[in-house]
Amino acid sequence: MLELNSTGRWEGELIQAQRDGTQVVVASRWALQLDELGKPIAVLETNNDITERKRSEESLHKAQTELAHVTRVATLGEMTASIAHEVNQPLGAVVNNASACLRWLAGQPPNLEEARKSAALIIADSHRASEIIGRIRALAKKAPPRKEWLDINETILEVIALARSEAQGNRIALQTQLSDDLPLILGDRIQLQQVILNLIINAIEAMNGVAEGPRELKVGSGKDDSQGVRIAVRDSGPGLDLESLDHLFTAFYTTKPQGMGMGLAISRSIIETHGGRLWATANEHRGATFQFTLPAGGERMS
Amino acid sequence: MTKADAIVFVVDDDEGMRQSLKNLIGSVGLRVEAFASAQEFLRSKLTDVPGCLVLDVRLPGLSGLDLQKRMAEAGIEIPIIFITGHGDIPMTVQAMKAGAVEFLAKPFRDQDLLDAIQQALARARTAREQRAQSEALRRRYRALTPRERDVMARVVAGLLNKQIAGELGTSEAAVKVHRQHVMAKMGAGSLAALVRMADRLGIPTPQL
Repeated sequence: MLELNSTGRWEGELIQAQRDGTQVVVASRWALQLDELGKPIAVLETNNDITERKRSEESLHKAQTELAHVTRVATLGEMTASIAHEVNQPLGAVVNNASACLRWLAGQPPNLEEARKSAALIIADSHRASEIIGRIRALAKKAPPRKEWLDINETILEVIALARSEAQGNRIALQTQLSDDLPLILGDRIQLQQVILNLIINAIEAMNGVAEGPRELKVGSGKDDSQGVRIAVRDSGPGLDLESLDHLFTAFYTTKPQGMGMGLAISRSIIETHGGRLWATANEHRGATFQFTLPAGGERMS
Repeated sequence: MTKADAIVFVVDDDEGMRQSLKNLIGSVGLRVEAFASAQEFLRSKLTDVPGCLVLDVRLPGLSGLDLQKRMAEAGIEIPIIFITGHGDIPMTVQAMKAGAVEFLAKPFRDQDLLDAIQQALARARTAREQRAQSEALRRRYRALTPRERDVMARVVAGLLNKQIAGELGTSEAAVKVHRQHVMAKMGAGSLAALVRMADRLGIPTPQL
């Protein structure tokens, strides 16, 4: 009412009950009518029933979430070999440390201090294995979107922990350039990780098509002009031609033999839902850069 | 030879794996030095004791196979045991062809690794002894006078004293004296031993 008094106008959505008891969502516009002296005499109210629109928006949103989940699981499926390797490493370390532990104990006299150290290493390695599994499980889980305060660098590093061996297996040097003092982001961790993972996997696949030259993948974070954050994934692949630049973000557009053509379309919709922007540019020398912005605090997230 | 006379180098980029290998190899009393990358290993100063290398195939930057190649090119003879998190058959073949001692898939049985290490160290010791012998042999050969070397070359080529005397334009008695000096200085107990030495020194000998 304060707004109505001060500006003479108010707009918003209201939930109203109909005579039969069902509820409708109404887009309502109120305007204050004044007399010659400027005293309010009446309120002009316009109501539109937007129940149907609301309902289709919700189902669209739900469909998008489900699609995002499906592509996320598909991406994880493509990464099975690398993920297995990531889990295998700490397991191998567990086996080595346990073997060492037995050998320290079997000594004459047993070396208890070294045996104790070995046991501590086994615990650390096991935690590492379970953390990796936890991250994969979180990505594979079908969870409703959930906003939380995120340190974007941490979010990026968790993805890199999963993608590192995929990059290494393809002989790609994966580097990070993360800037400190970035504002926290209000967003959905899993969805944002999906976007980052998608961009990284795309970059790796793009570089696989190139036989010569260095294979470099740089993931960077920094502040953008409007005090939000900007995340960039830069590769040294074949780059982008004008034609594909037009279609990159279109659903079902793909340049890969096994591609679904959904990755970038979904990534863009995720970023836009977060109030940010996702775009691609060709690098000056070679390769392409995909980057996205996210507003500090993610105020426009629906 | 005691265990402390040997050293095991480990190159693996995964910190947990690296530490566990150090722990396991250390638990049998062997000296271990670990590195996170091939470059780091190449930069390090190698101790002059028999050693072997436990090497991860997949490394950031220079891969394990690249390192194997570089070392061969640089003449660094350290037996290599490859370890890998992937059962990559073409890589295995390539590594073994290039002389790797063993190729183990992670996780491996501790005994398999330790056996491979013992085998690699034995190889390193043999190579070292052979190098030392060749070096001693070359030293002895360098101690011969030019005339003694002339005589030695002809002796091992199968010429008789008389023929050698003719070729060198000297007396048979003088050749006999040179020949005795050669045998003594080279430490050869028989003509056959001298021929084997000549062979190792790269002096042409008749092919039987």
